[in-house]
Amino acid sequence: MKTARKKKEKDNSSFVTSLMMYLFIYLIGMALVITVFNSLIKKHDKQLTGEICGLVTEKMNNSIRYMTLSAEDVSAVLSAQDIRSSESLYDPLKKCADRKPEILSMGLIDSSGSIYASESEKREFEKWDMLKLAKQADPISISPPYRFSKTGETVFTMFVDMTFPDGSDGYLFMTYPLAEIQNMAYSDSIGSKTDIWLMNADSDNIIQCAGSNSYLIGSWNNALLTFGDINDRDISRYDKWKSKMANGERSAAVVYGIGNVRYTQVFSKIDYMHGWYLVVRMPSSSLSKTMLGFRTTVLIFIVVMMAATTLLFVLVRKRSLRERAVLESLSTHDPLTGALNRLAFDREAEEHLKTTQRKQGALLFIDVDHFKQVNDRYGHAAGDKVLKEFTNALNELFGEKAYIARYGGDEFTVFVKGLNKETVSIRIGQLSKMASAIIPGEKKSPDDLKITFSCGGAFFPDDGIELKVLERSADTALYRVKENGRNGYAWNNEKVINHS
Amino acid sequence: MKNRILCVTAALALLLTGCTFKKNDYKAPEAPPFAALTEIKEGRKNIYLIVKNLDSSYWQVVINGAKQGGIDFDCNVYYSGSYTENDWKSQERLLDEARSAGADAVIMAPNDSVMLAGKVDEVYSDGIKMIFVDTIANTKSYDICYMTDNLIAGQKAAEEMLTRFRERGIPETEEAEVAIQVGARSSQTISERLAGFLQYWTENAPPDWTVVKDIRCNESDAEVAVDIAEDLIEDHREKIKGVFGTNNGSTAGFAKVVMKKGLTDITVVGFDYSEEMAKLIASEEYDASTMLQRQYQMSYIGVEKAMKLLNGDTVEEKFVDTGVMVVNEDTINDPEVQELLKQS
Repeated sequence: MKTARKKKEKDNSSFVTSLMMYLFIYLIGMALVITVFNSLIKKHDKQLTGEICGLVTEKMNNSIRYMTLSAEDVSAVLSAQDIRSSESLYDPLKKCADRKPEILSMGLIDSSGSIYASESEKREFEKWDMLKLAKQADPISISPPYRFSKTGETVFTMFVDMTFPDGSDGYLFMTYPLAEIQNMAYSDSIGSKTDIWLMNADSDNIIQCAGSNSYLIGSWNNALLTFGDINDRDISRYDKWKSKMANGERSAAVVYGIGNVRYTQVFSKIDYMHGWYLVVRMPSSSLSKTMLGFRTTVLIFIVVMMAATTLLFVLVRKRSLRERAVLESLSTHDPLTGALNRLAFDREAEEHLKTTQRKQGALLFIDVDHFKQVNDRYGHAAGDKVLKEFTNALNELFGEKAYIARYGGDEFTVFVKGLNKETVSIRIGQLSKMASAIIPGEKKSPDDLKITFSCGGAFFPDDGIELKVLERSADTALYRVKENGRNGYAWNNEKVINHS
Repeated sequence: MKNRILCVTAALALLLTGCTFKKNDYKAPEAPPFAALTEIKEGRKNIYLIVKNLDSSYWQVVINGAKQGGIDFDCNVYYSGSYTENDWKSQERLLDEARSAGADAVIMAPNDSVMLAGKVDEVYSDGIKMIFVDTIANTKSYDICYMTDNLIAGQKAAEEMLTRFRERGIPETEEAEVAIQVGARSSQTISERLAGFLQYWTENAPPDWTVVKDIRCNESDAEVAVDIAEDLIEDHREKIKGVFGTNNGSTAGFAKVVMKKGLTDITVVGFDYSEEMAKLIASEEYDASTMLQRQYQMSYIGVEKAMKLLNGDTVEEKFVDTGVMVVNEDTINDPEVQELLKQS
């Protein structure tokens, strides 16, 4: 019994270990799937937001290019005019600017540096040293943004070199509101979380061109402050991106985090606006909401699968344990009485004698007297009933304190643990009374055979501590009881005591 | 005995709360209701002035200009303002109060160019004349703005710093750093000064004269400004040759630390004429320059223009640069500077 329990415990432990291993591997697999999934989402987001930012910068740049082309066209038309004086050339320009709200001013600069513009525009030229910028036109140059006195708006001025009708060189200039870039290039589809700036590679100055808050358009700031909150682990990545801009690369992208939000940011060089770049930024996650929903579904599916398979394993295990218990019982127990068979009894008794330190107990050989007469008179079914009830009596008296076995036919063996000889003797007496109360037939009858038994016992450690020795002693004692007319018991080397 | 225990407990509680009170936890009081700045007479136009900081000497000059304007141009002038230059919510409330009180014109220096733009739109759409002084809001809903063109002012500050470096004889091949602190992140005035300074510096400074990348913001807190100044100077002591404050508080913070530590080898360039800057400029040992704005004119002309607009005048230019004067030991005694300082 003890051996079986140990084996069962070992089995259980092994099952729990296997289950834990399974769950561990499953969880590792799940973590791996989620990590790969997240990585793919990030990669997808980075790629897609990068592409969108690239498209927006290209669109913005195209808008600026469109403006420069318009300026070049105007310059070409003016050059082809048959008008000799610069003043006469300026008049239609002024009228044209008055008609077009998207152009704040238009004017000319001749080869001597004379400016043909309104007085307020001339003051603006002096204030911002515009002549210096005009001379950089090859064929175009664009000023950095500045505040236009006439309207108070942030603007930029475009200079185009042109040949005056008299053959001298000069420049045409056109001033646009900064918001015009947004009007031409921005659309709602870009998304309300997209920010667009102009950025100077040298000074890190930035000026907002578009964004979620329209009041931000035209506001100055500096990248050192605006991007100063980038998470520490992304700073080197941002610095690398910034150094690409400083080195004059045309375009580059970076992904960084500010707090929990990750952004994709792309710059693109602006032709003719020396040192200035378009920078477009959008949250990297803005495109991945659907993917995140799918990830949650996959996650739930994986967890449900794990729970289902775990439950299945436990149920299969339980069923297997039940079947094994039946098989084990059949291999170790007498199918009629449920007592141990000889093999199991010997194994358990020997195990007990080997392992228990304070050994005290008894080995009893018990034969039911004249059992053949029971079978002959009442039939085999009655015989079986007697054996079962006799076994029940043994179990009741010795219970968990003993291994009880049926050796065969009417022979029983009891290995009593931890009880002294007196107590065992008393219980043998009680067994005699219980046996005599067994009714062999279906109903009680005055002439019923009385069920008695003969018992020979050996006590350990007094009579030995080996099972074989104890068996021999008990057998000899039993023989003496039988010789003495049965229905009694005797201990090894002690006189036979008859049951009353 | 009971009373004594109570007293001791109260004292301990006070001590403990006192110990945990940080200077940054200080919350300035909200803006007070408008008060009359001039004599109030029936039948005159009502002009409301909203300033950034009622406790500042700079803003007191703005208030004085408006007061004189009210007297000279025969109108009622009321004034109020916040107590810190980042309290835009108080100013938003004041705009509503001015509108409810029946303002004919509002002269305002917005604390936040973006956050207040929406409220300015509302007030302007009610037909109230809107005039900005010192700082502009990011909106088209205003009549005229009198202020320093801060991009230009920032460039002038950078130019002055370079001039001072050269006058001090710092070799162009020597590594020299300039540390910067700003008063607020969302003020266009400050952002434009910083942008102007950096633009000029990167275009004109020798490659070895650089700006410290760690630009810090004191959120308009005078004590924080001093702490930042100490930290920046300490962190870059070996190479630092100049410091630049983008506004009055930042400049005063730098000036205080430079004087306290006797750092005569550091040039201080900044804005406005605080007590600390006045001391540095007056001293022969220190090297300091400040950009003096014409804030008196801003509000004085603001009141004048408000009256003209209310009488049907139009605007030629919406943005009027009132300019800055560079004040240092060489220019301090110029009559024009002295005239400006008198108004301060």
